[in-house]
Amino acid sequence: MNYKVEMNDITKKFGSLVANDQVTLKVKPGEIHALLGENGAGKSTLMSILFGLYIAEKGEILIDGKKVSIQNPNDANLLGIGMVHQHFKLVETFTVLDNIILGVEETSKGLINYDHAVEKLTLLIKTYHLNVDLNAFIKDITVGQQQRVEILKMLYRDSDIMIFDEPTAVLTPQEIIELIHIMQNFAKEGKTIIVITHKLNEIKAVADRCTVLRRGKCIGTVNVKDVTIEQLAEMMVGREVSFSVDKPEIQAGSTLFTIDHLTVKGRGRHAVTNLSLQVNSNEIVGIAGIDGNGQTELIHAITGLLPIESGKVTLNNIDITRMPIRQKYEKGMSHIPEDRQKHGIILDFDLQSNLVLQNYYQPHFQKMRFLKFKNIQKYAEELIERFDIRSERGSKTSVRQMSGGNQQKAILGREISRNHNVLIAVQPTRGLDVGAIEYIHQRLIEERNSGRGVLLVSLEIEEIMNLSDRILVMYEGEIVGELDPKKTNINELGLYMSGAKRGTTHA
Amino acid sequence: MEIIYQLIQSTYLGMTVLLIVALGGLLAERSGVTNIALEGIMIFGAFIGVWGIKIFERYLSRPSILLMIMIVLLILILLITILPEYRYLKKKHSTDKEWKEFKIASVIKVSIAAVVLLISILLTMVVPNIATNPQTILQSKTQMILIMGLTVGGLIGGLFSMIHAYASIYLKANQVISATALNLFAPAFAVFTARILQGGQQISFMSNFMINKVPLLGDIPLIGDIFFKRNYLSFYFSIGLLILLSILIYKSKFGLRLRACGENPHAADSLGINIYRLRFKAVTLSGVLAGIGGVSFVISTSTEFNVTVAGFGFLAIAVLIFGNWSPKGIVLAALFFGFMRTIASSFSIIPFLNRLGAPAEIYNMIPFIATLIILGFFSKNSRAPKALGQVYDQGKR
Amino acid sequence: MRKPLKCPLVLKNIIDKIRSVFKIIFSFIWKILKKVLIVIRPSLIAIAVGLLIGLIIMLIFNPYDAFPALMTLILGGFNGGLKGIGETLELAAPIMLTGLAVAFAFKTGLFNIGASGQMMMGAYVAIHVGVRWTLPSGLHWIVALLLGMTAGAVWGLVPGILKALRNVNEVVSSIMMNYIAGYLLIFLIQRNVFLELEARSRYVQSTAVLPSLQSVFPGSSANIGILITMVVIIIAHIIIHKTTLGFSLRAAGFSFDGSKYAGMNTKLNIVIAMTLSGMFAGLAGAISFLVRGKAINTAFVIFSQGFDGISVALLGLGEPIGALIAGLFLANLRMGGFYMQLYSYVPQIIDIIVAVIIYATAISIAIQALLKHYGERLGVFYRNRIRDPLRVFYKKRIRDPFSQCIKKRREKKLSKKEAKS
Repeated sequence: MNYKVEMNDITKKFGSLVANDQVTLKVKPGEIHALLGENGAGKSTLMSILFGLYIAEKGEILIDGKKVSIQNPNDANLLGIGMVHQHFKLVETFTVLDNIILGVEETSKGLINYDHAVEKLTLLIKTYHLNVDLNAFIKDITVGQQQRVEILKMLYRDSDIMIFDEPTAVLTPQEIIELIHIMQNFAKEGKTIIVITHKLNEIKAVADRCTVLRRGKCIGTVNVKDVTIEQLAEMMVGREVSFSVDKPEIQAGSTLFTIDHLTVKGRGRHAVTNLSLQVNSNEIVGIAGIDGNGQTELIHAITGLLPIESGKVTLNNIDITRMPIRQKYEKGMSHIPEDRQKHGIILDFDLQSNLVLQNYYQPHFQKMRFLKFKNIQKYAEELIERFDIRSERGSKTSVRQMSGGNQQKAILGREISRNHNVLIAVQPTRGLDVGAIEYIHQRLIEERNSGRGVLLVSLEIEEIMNLSDRILVMYEGEIVGELDPKKTNINELGLYMSGAKRGTTHA
Repeated sequence: MEIIYQLIQSTYLGMTVLLIVALGGLLAERSGVTNIALEGIMIFGAFIGVWGIKIFERYLSRPSILLMIMIVLLILILLITILPEYRYLKKKHSTDKEWKEFKIASVIKVSIAAVVLLISILLTMVVPNIATNPQTILQSKTQMILIMGLTVGGLIGGLFSMIHAYASIYLKANQVISATALNLFAPAFAVFTARILQGGQQISFMSNFMINKVPLLGDIPLIGDIFFKRNYLSFYFSIGLLILLSILIYKSKFGLRLRACGENPHAADSLGINIYRLRFKAVTLSGVLAGIGGVSFVISTSTEFNVTVAGFGFLAIAVLIFGNWSPKGIVLAALFFGFMRTIASSFSIIPFLNRLGAPAEIYNMIPFIATLIILGFFSKNSRAPKALGQVYDQGKR
Repeated sequence: MRKPLKCPLVLKNIIDKIRSVFKIIFSFIWKILKKVLIVIRPSLIAIAVGLLIGLIIMLIFNPYDAFPALMTLILGGFNGGLKGIGETLELAAPIMLTGLAVAFAFKTGLFNIGASGQMMMGAYVAIHVGVRWTLPSGLHWIVALLLGMTAGAVWGLVPGILKALRNVNEVVSSIMMNYIAGYLLIFLIQRNVFLELEARSRYVQSTAVLPSLQSVFPGSSANIGILITMVVIIIAHIIIHKTTLGFSLRAAGFSFDGSKYAGMNTKLNIVIAMTLSGMFAGLAGAISFLVRGKAINTAFVIFSQGFDGISVALLGLGEPIGALIAGLFLANLRMGGFYMQLYSYVPQIIDIIVAVIIYATAISIAIQALLKHYGERLGVFYRNRIRDPLRVFYKKRIRDPFSQCIKKRREKKLSKKEAKS
């Protein structure tokens, strides 16, 4: 059996962390091969080794049966390997054309010659229906279009082996179907495709075979047709996974939080236009939508990180629209931010300082402006106990050394323990393993059960479906629909999310 | 009218140096490396360059020796720019396309050197043999010394800046700290060496490098008076540099990759561009320009080098930021600064300002206060390269 | 065969107890020392490298005098006895304060390159008060100091506000402020405190001079400036590490976005940090010139102590206490340079050494890795060839006198028992 790509016994360490432990991957030519694993299982690392971004300590790589040495992306390119990264590697201030030819520019008389490139790209765009304007700037085009630019980068370099790293994270369900068609076309032409993903139903839809990684080790390779989603999940996690969440029926109570005709400026046009919603006690309101439709700006505006152009935000009947952030917290708001390392915690502070980040100035923690370290430590230790926050040296650990899951648990614990009755949670389970995800979901449900209101923003449709009592779909800065999770399905959600369908006026 | 011409010419003095050094800073910063060592590099380049001029002056009567020294310098420069590239490509098993580009680049470099050589021959051999006016002979040989001085200054500036480049790029050091080290080292070294070798710390030379009138172009009615009278060679160099760099940064392969490194090095890295090499080259080039700027500063101010460049290195950074990291902005900012300094130093001859009776120091302060005010208005829309100042570590891809 | 020592058991118990107490104390001190050493290791390595390079340069130029000159250099102020130490302290105070100013700004993520200008403004105001005001002698210098601090604070406030409100890069604005201060200084001196004949400012009145420490350091011009400096540094340390203000400043320095999310008033923080930083630098200026017979010339100058402050802050690893130690060290080095003039080396060698030290601090990570690599090799060599053989050698000769003793006693007891049975 001739394999197109063979990675045998690959071992890669980062300090003491073993990202890949003797992993073997064999991909047949012309097949679509999925690489499945939780966050942190080592899938991205393995493919980065194939693409030349990392070099493995042990193991060998064979392309077309011949042993090769891939030291950098150039070597990978020469072997016909291309990669579409999860976080696009595009230069925002360049045009699409410049981004594609970067690194393989053609020059005449010392200056760049674009002619041949334009010719080839126009042909490629037509052939594969990857419509994008070559002269547009990256910062001005949509995320879906940016992904097409990444694909064109590969095609322009005549890639034979195409690696897609979590390609569907930023696409609407309809766009996902388009991408699947594109991948299947590539496969028919004989190109070899490797898809890194943790979305089981997509694997079922497009992949021929699937290799599962767990905590750096290779668990096995299966034919996708021969296994069920449940079996795949079990391989991925190592135990039986329950897909449903225990959510008792509770009647929603009084209105705790309202947003009234909110408008927020964005890049060029408005990011949020005339948006209104409300959150009641005992309920989780989920905002669904594709990344980049204003969710980030919405949350940043109501929490105070971005200025509000017009509109009103009230919390417990108090107008908090123009309040300084600290006062918002004092009036009962809690916020689990989207980017935990940028906003949620101070990486170079220790754990206990991070746990009192918003209330260090309160009388309990300081006297005459001098911090009461004993009280801070006690409080931190309480939280560590209650929320199972694991760290090397307890409350004095530098947060930078903690894992993502524990960092998020710390943020969650801190936000929940403060005096609040509205919790705004954005992407609370991003990048976490299944255990941490389950834990956080549980705590969110507890919040809702205990009388508080939760505003949940997430890009994971399943999370929204499982947790929310009401779903609002956001598209291009507006709420385009309000759905009942018990009565709707992913397809319908997808239609709303892509703007194809709109609900009755939702002011 | 005369006064206006004098003001304009005086503006050039300030503007030229700032323009050259700021353009150098542009190269470095656009590639993502902050370079506040420009002051120190200027001092170092000026020190060695002016010393060179002093030595070269001794050979004014024997122009053939000057020519030989120039040839040696040119060969050295060619070696430094071509050899490492050659060895790198050989080691890397690179593609035919890369070899072809290397050959083209080498040819360009050699031809530039040849042009410079030609000009040198002209100035040292040809003109003295055909000129009748002793002034012309003297001017041509003097300008030759200037060219050589600028070359030496640039060469040394480039070598000196490699220390900062190596530390901040390959050793991942804090760019501010290693730059500060250079700023501290240069004047100390200059004073130290000067005192040991000649007793005092000032290095004086004799020639005056001002070009009174460019032969043909100086006769054009209006433009001639503005651009081609009572000026220095460095001014024309700076204008040429401006044009060259504008093309280089925006239209050449090197420029595209340079900008990519400064905006999103991860993207460039994933496409196989060697971030480290590119940034190293950019910072070295900025050092070359700073060295040339240092020499220009000294020759346009007085006839001695006293271990200072009056803060022009830092002012160049201000010009760079003020000019919003683009050549167009930089030239406007340099013009502005040059003009303000001119007003400060020559307000007494401007009748209108003279009557105001304000003390000299106020005028000296004006360029700086004005910069603050203008920065206050324009800093909101800063277009700094996104990855500026961040250390790039391949391990953290 | 040696005669065994008489060893009463009681004595041995006491000695044992003393031993164990000592062990506890030593291990405690050693633990703290190790922690401190690990933290300051980069600075120590950098200093060693700097001194080494200086030694090499001296060897090149004048090999015979190199080592004695190096010793003079390292001894620094101690070369001149108490007088030298006093002079060192006087020299150290301003750069400790400018180092504090730069370090304080660093903690908040700001780069205060304008310490020179702030110092100059502080110096001018102090001189102005010292020359033109009349106050009783206990009060005069205090008022001059306070007003000097205020002037420096104002000078730091400007870049702070520009950055907080208009996002102006504080490096550029500070550089501008330095130049403005340079010219303003000349202007103000010429207007108010001019001694035209000598083109300088007038000397301050004796009531404004800082109380001297002549009694402690006879012959020197040391004054209580150094004491004030140390107190201020300790206060700064407390502010940064123990107060709510310090908490939010450090948070902003580590993660500007994080501090914003946490609700801290980031704009106010920037302003406060730059103002306090300027205040410290202003104090440096005041302390420098509230001295008998010192004046500022009316030629354009930007005080170099501001840039020394950057070196001190970097060497001190960005901490106030670090600035204290590094400032003393640098001043000591400079004094060493002064004394070294006896050796026909140009004093600029000091600046070269300092520059190399700064450079070495920057690449200390790389140097540490290098040392580790070669250190491992050396360590293995040391262990295999030197330490172990030595141990074996010693074991054969030196015996613990008490264990000898105990052996003898046991033998005696055994023989007695045997005799009995």
